Amino acid sequence: MTAAALELRQVTKRFGDQAAVDRVDLVVPHNKVVALVGESGSGKTTTGLLALRLLAANGGQILLDGQDLTPLSQKALKPFRRQMQVVFQDSYASLDPMMTLGEIIAEPLGIHGLFTAAERRDQARRWLEKVGLDAGYATRYPHELSGGQRQRVAVARALILGPSVLVADEPTSALDVSVKAQIVNLLQDLQADMGLSILFISHDLSVVRSLADEVVVMLRGRVVERAPTDMIFAGARHPYTRALLDAVPVLDPKARRRRSFMSAEEISARTPRYRAAELETQPLVDTAEPQLVALAGSHFVEAIVTG
Amino acid sequence: MTGFIIRRTLSMLVTFIVVSIVIFLMMHSIPGGPFDGNEMPLPDNIRDRLMAQLGLDQPLYVQYLRYMWGALHFDFGVPYQSPGETVMGLVAHAWVPSLVLGGSGIIIGAPIGILLGMAAALNRNSWIDYVASALATLGLTIPVFVTSTLLILVFAVWLHWLPASGWGEPKRWILPILAYAAVPLATYARYARSAMLDTLNKPFVTVLRAKGLSERRIIFQHVLRNSAIPMVTVFLPMFVGIATGSIFVEAMFRVPGLGAYFVSSIEKRDYPLEMALMLLISMLFCISYLLSDILYALLNPRIRVDGSRR
Amino acid sequence: MTELATQATGLARPDQTRQHSPLYFAWRRFADNKAALGAGVVLVVLILMAIFAPLITGTGGNEQAFLTQSLAFPSGEHWFGVDDLGRDFFARIVYGARVSLGIGLSAALFSLVIGLPVGALAGYLGGRFDWVTMRVIELFSVVPPLLAALLLASVTRGGLWAIVLIAALFGWVNVCLLVRAQVKSFREKEFIMAAQALGASPWHVIWRHLIPNSVSPIIVGFVLAIPLAMMLEASLSFLGIGVQPPTPSWGQMINIGMNFIFFYWHMAVFPTLALALTILSASLLGDGLRDAFDPTLKGR
Repeated sequence: MTAAALELRQVTKRFGDQAAVDRVDLVVPHNKVVALVGESGSGKTTTGLLALRLLAANGGQILLDGQDLTPLSQKALKPFRRQMQVVFQDSYASLDPMMTLGEIIAEPLGIHGLFTAAERRDQARRWLEKVGLDAGYATRYPHELSGGQRQRVAVARALILGPSVLVADEPTSALDVSVKAQIVNLLQDLQADMGLSILFISHDLSVVRSLADEVVVMLRGRVVERAPTDMIFAGARHPYTRALLDAVPVLDPKARRRRSFMSAEEISARTPRYRAAELETQPLVDTAEPQLVALAGSHFVEAIVTG
Repeated sequence: MTGFIIRRTLSMLVTFIVVSIVIFLMMHSIPGGPFDGNEMPLPDNIRDRLMAQLGLDQPLYVQYLRYMWGALHFDFGVPYQSPGETVMGLVAHAWVPSLVLGGSGIIIGAPIGILLGMAAALNRNSWIDYVASALATLGLTIPVFVTSTLLILVFAVWLHWLPASGWGEPKRWILPILAYAAVPLATYARYARSAMLDTLNKPFVTVLRAKGLSERRIIFQHVLRNSAIPMVTVFLPMFVGIATGSIFVEAMFRVPGLGAYFVSSIEKRDYPLEMALMLLISMLFCISYLLSDILYALLNPRIRVDGSRR
Repeated sequence: MTELATQATGLARPDQTRQHSPLYFAWRRFADNKAALGAGVVLVVLILMAIFAPLITGTGGNEQAFLTQSLAFPSGEHWFGVDDLGRDFFARIVYGARVSLGIGLSAALFSLVIGLPVGALAGYLGGRFDWVTMRVIELFSVVPPLLAALLLASVTRGGLWAIVLIAALFGWVNVCLLVRAQVKSFREKEFIMAAQALGASPWHVIWRHLIPNSVSPIIVGFVLAIPLAMMLEASLSFLGIGVQPPTPSWGQMINIGMNFIFFYWHMAVFPTLALALTILSASLLGDGLRDAFDPTLKGR
């Protein structure tokens, strides 16, 4: 079995005594798009930062193409950073306002000491065109661009090093609907071209449906359901996943701002229950607590196992 | 709130102790003791005996503790320049002119400054706004001794209206009071203006206007009260300005106040007096810092009371 | 520059207007502020006068070339008169600008040298380093700079370098606070995280991103430190513990001029006006720059 492009094993992050991410397992296979969905505050962005080692985890392992990154220092991590890159949500905050777009896109090459300065400039111009912007933008500043254009620049900066894994943290959620589609298309094209594996963090299920091969649902720092995209949209088992699906499309903007549309009691009352015999593989532990169990067709859900 | 006051007081106390140690060490680091550099050097054994008598042979921390213990009892030693007195006795009669002149400066300058700042805020971009801004900038940037020189030149030298210096008859107080008043006037003109403007731009003022209240009532009942809070915080920098200004004003106008003694203690290397005045002034600053913190917290219920100033 | 245009033409093209760095907009706001612009011009003229002093004045600042005309009033020959020791007073004022501006600029430079790295590190690292820095700054804020400078100067007995160092000792605090606040607010920004995700070292992050984004507080801190240092120098020299004669310093000249004020007013007037003009211009320039770089701070 070949190693996954990116794998998280039992990764935990606590802020104070609150676990923002609680023993999360996550696998992004080569050349696939895995979507991480959940409300704001579910821990999905934190999971992304942990995968990138921008935050230090309190426990668990992060593997990049089978190589365990967890014990490495920031310095030792540097060569691996070329293989894993990130695009953030806020395109304005993610570009240095004092640098021209050409400098921004070429910066990764400079950090890793690749090419000469002139070659780096050429590469930056080529990448501007690759993400659909005229090379003339190289001397412009971020504030002269629209949100969608800035996000294209952020994508170019992330991909210029030729990474195998891209963490995209809600790259479209700050954009208008029409622009959103363009960025999704761009990511899709580049993913196919470069054979990228993408961890796509989003709360926008319509985008997820068109882009992702697999969906992982997070709730309060836990993974509660994980399945191929079709299966999630056709037969979600966890009550929280269904509630998320029912909320699409959200016409009322106020509803999106509510932090949680299901209370903890509601969820635990409706947590699915299975008898051990029904499961694809036997649960690892014998407990009355909810645990992630395997159903048919690579479908995992948090459930209570009875008898 | 009580917790906040206690925390603040304690941290101020620590700050004051650190400052006093720094001052003590600095005074101590001045090359040469009281018995060096005389025309007639003392024999070593007499010198050592004198040093022992004065406690100068003790380790530094003992000397510091002794000094502070004395300071607690208002015993700061004897000034070199007038050995017949104590430092405390000298301070006791020197603070009167400083307080009279500096206090009058505040009493005259602050209200004028506030009125000017208010008028400027209510008539933005009018001539009064420009005059107020110009006065504020001049008062806050130009050193007090420059203001004093110009006052003397105009009113004493050229116009012969007022005496240029001295203490005694109240006529002589006018120019120094004017020189003092420049700082509070400038400070309050600037802060009253910005505080008023801040408040006038608040939504609640718009609501009051929409309700049909008269402009006069809005300003006197609502805007003024809300603008008062930020102005409280200005007291401290203004106090600093007055206290440091006194050194120059009193030197300029030859007023026998604390500032003048400070200058003469520097000129005559009168270290006991200098040390005592530095300590007293730092203590005054610590106390006024503390008071303005507490006052601000009391007046502004929304302040985050977590012990941090900024 | 709409997204629809992007779709129509394939590649989005930049519009034809000139590109401007964020600093350009600060410059535009500054240029609109006539008082600050005027102050800047005055300051530049003063600096040029200080640099080219020998070309402007007939004699050096210390030459007692006109002993027979001692204390002469201003005339066509001696614009500002002659002082008590027979020196051309205009020459002394011009050479005094060298001292005042020189001390102001070098003290501001030293403030920057201390305040910039300390502020950047405190803002970037946070934690214990930041805590210690802030406690030290708190100490400085309790002691009024002028008084502490008096004490220090009375210990060191003045001298050019002592004054520069004393002024820097109090000037770095402002620079440090300004830079720290800016770095702190940028540290959490996503472009910093993006650089870290690219494998940038802390040094690269500070040097390439945090410091360029702090140019405004750096410039403002630098310019505002200049009048403070000049004021400090003048005050100390006025009290006789600053720049020592015969080196010409305006503060010292005011002190001497006060002895002659009733009869030879020019000895007091010209240094007073020169000092007032210079400090006022430097302050107005600093205020204007601050407003231009951070319009939200206006009027504070």
